[in-house]
Amino acid sequence: MIQLYNVTKKYGGDSAAVKDMTLQIGKGEFVYITGASGAGKTTLLRMLYAAEKPTKGQILVDRQNISRIRSRQIPFLRRKVGVVFQDFKLLQSRTVYENVAFALEAQGKKRYEVSKKVYQALKQVGLEHRLQRKPLELSGGEQQRIAIARALVVDPLILLADEPSGNLDQEVTFEIMALFQQANARGTTVLLATHDHSLNQRFPRRVLTLDQGKLIGDQQPLQG
Amino acid sequence: MLDKIRYFIMRALRNMRQWPLLCAASILTMAVALATVATFFLVVVNTEQLALRWTKEIQVIAYLEKAPNQQSIAGLTTKLQNIPEVESVKYVSPANAMQSFKEHLGEDASLLEGVSKDLLPASFELGLYRNYRNQQGIASVIEQLENHLEVDDLRYGQQWLEKFNKFAQALRFVGIILGGFLLFAALFIVSNTIKLTLYARRDELEIMALVGATMRFIKIPFMLEGAIQGLLGGLLSLAFLALSFVFVLSPSLNSFWLTPTDFDLLFLTLNQQIILALSGVVLGVLGSLSSLRRFVRL
Repeated sequence: MIQLYNVTKKYGGDSAAVKDMTLQIGKGEFVYITGASGAGKTTLLRMLYAAEKPTKGQILVDRQNISRIRSRQIPFLRRKVGVVFQDFKLLQSRTVYENVAFALEAQGKKRYEVSKKVYQALKQVGLEHRLQRKPLELSGGEQQRIAIARALVVDPLILLADEPSGNLDQEVTFEIMALFQQANARGTTVLLATHDHSLNQRFPRRVLTLDQGKLIGDQQPLQG
Repeated sequence: MLDKIRYFIMRALRNMRQWPLLCAASILTMAVALATVATFFLVVVNTEQLALRWTKEIQVIAYLEKAPNQQSIAGLTTKLQNIPEVESVKYVSPANAMQSFKEHLGEDASLLEGVSKDLLPASFELGLYRNYRNQQGIASVIEQLENHLEVDDLRYGQQWLEKFNKFAQALRFVGIILGGFLLFAALFIVSNTIKLTLYARRDELEIMALVGATMRFIKIPFMLEGAIQGLLGGLLSLAFLALSFVFVLSPSLNSFWLTPTDFDLLFLTLNQQIILALSGVVLGVLGSLSSLRRFVRL
């Protein structure tokens, strides 16, 4: 599903945010990306949804080479890739319903289709009763669930999450993790960047460890 | 397709409702900018109109050595009429000249008692077509006059004409410079206001790009919004303009001492009013488009 070959990303100057990284992630996998701040987790994710282009190397997403993707094709890549952020990135002036519907409307879906899918997605994250609320009236955990619903409502092949639980307490974090696992169980490939090791202890999965832009560990979960 | 158009319009309207202050700021800025340019346009147009009125006074008066006899007047008139630059020919006999001189003197007309009626020379007053009310036109008329008449003296306000030409040129020059400057300032202010309103909404633009909206999908509602705001701004500027015309421009131009009493001030024609409203639309769309380029990055 995702392949990187000798990918390097530099932001001007000599230091590279990602250095000569090669890795493969199969369809339906659930992968943690860990490492200290500045290890390159966010840069790696940003390259996967084409917010950045690699300085060197090749990136394939769903068999499409996105290293030199044209900006006209980026929207179509993003329809396959849902993204969840630490700061939720919700539109504060819109209702919960509008926030989730936004992703479908952006893809030009019909109105009846939109309302049906939005309801389903909000039901999945347990917020179908908050349709008409504004994000700021909700708790952080609820806001993140809305962001997840927005990412999942379009049935993405891949779900990228950048420190999704960074602002949340542990109990809420586990609720959020359950949502990622459900999505993964339905076949979505999930990449979750975090520096919270307790997640892997509680939900053991493959772990990619980054340090100063390099991939220094690729650990499969212990079986049984 | 219709569904999409409706969706875009709904989004544009909803955005405007959601950000009433930003929306009002854009509309007002465009209205003020357009009204300023249009007011200036009106001042220039009316001043030029006024100047054109003065040129009506331009005529060539040919004083004759000897008054022609009654039979030859008609023939001479036709000949003069045939000069291409000449619009009207009026023969003034010595008696007519004396009569109008008397009228001019009014109460002092008694001074002329006992003076011969033929004291003043006969003359032809030649009015010129509008295009020829300038130095070249007059020079050409004078040249042709000498073929037909024995002229004693010519009057055609040479000095006045030269001054007027300079004035008209200066007016046009200042008009172009100031008008261009105003237009540029208006464009600058409008595009900056729109940039600010988009800056306030950059999260929305970013999120749209993140969830896979195409460039077109992101831009169209904002451009529509720009168009609607531009139209409203254009209409508002028309209202401003009408008010300033009635309360400021009209009284001040009418009190100008050179303005003839029967001079009708010009307002924008219907076509010009439509152009003003449409330039609001163009301003809004272009302003949005140029600012969007800065804020929308995929």
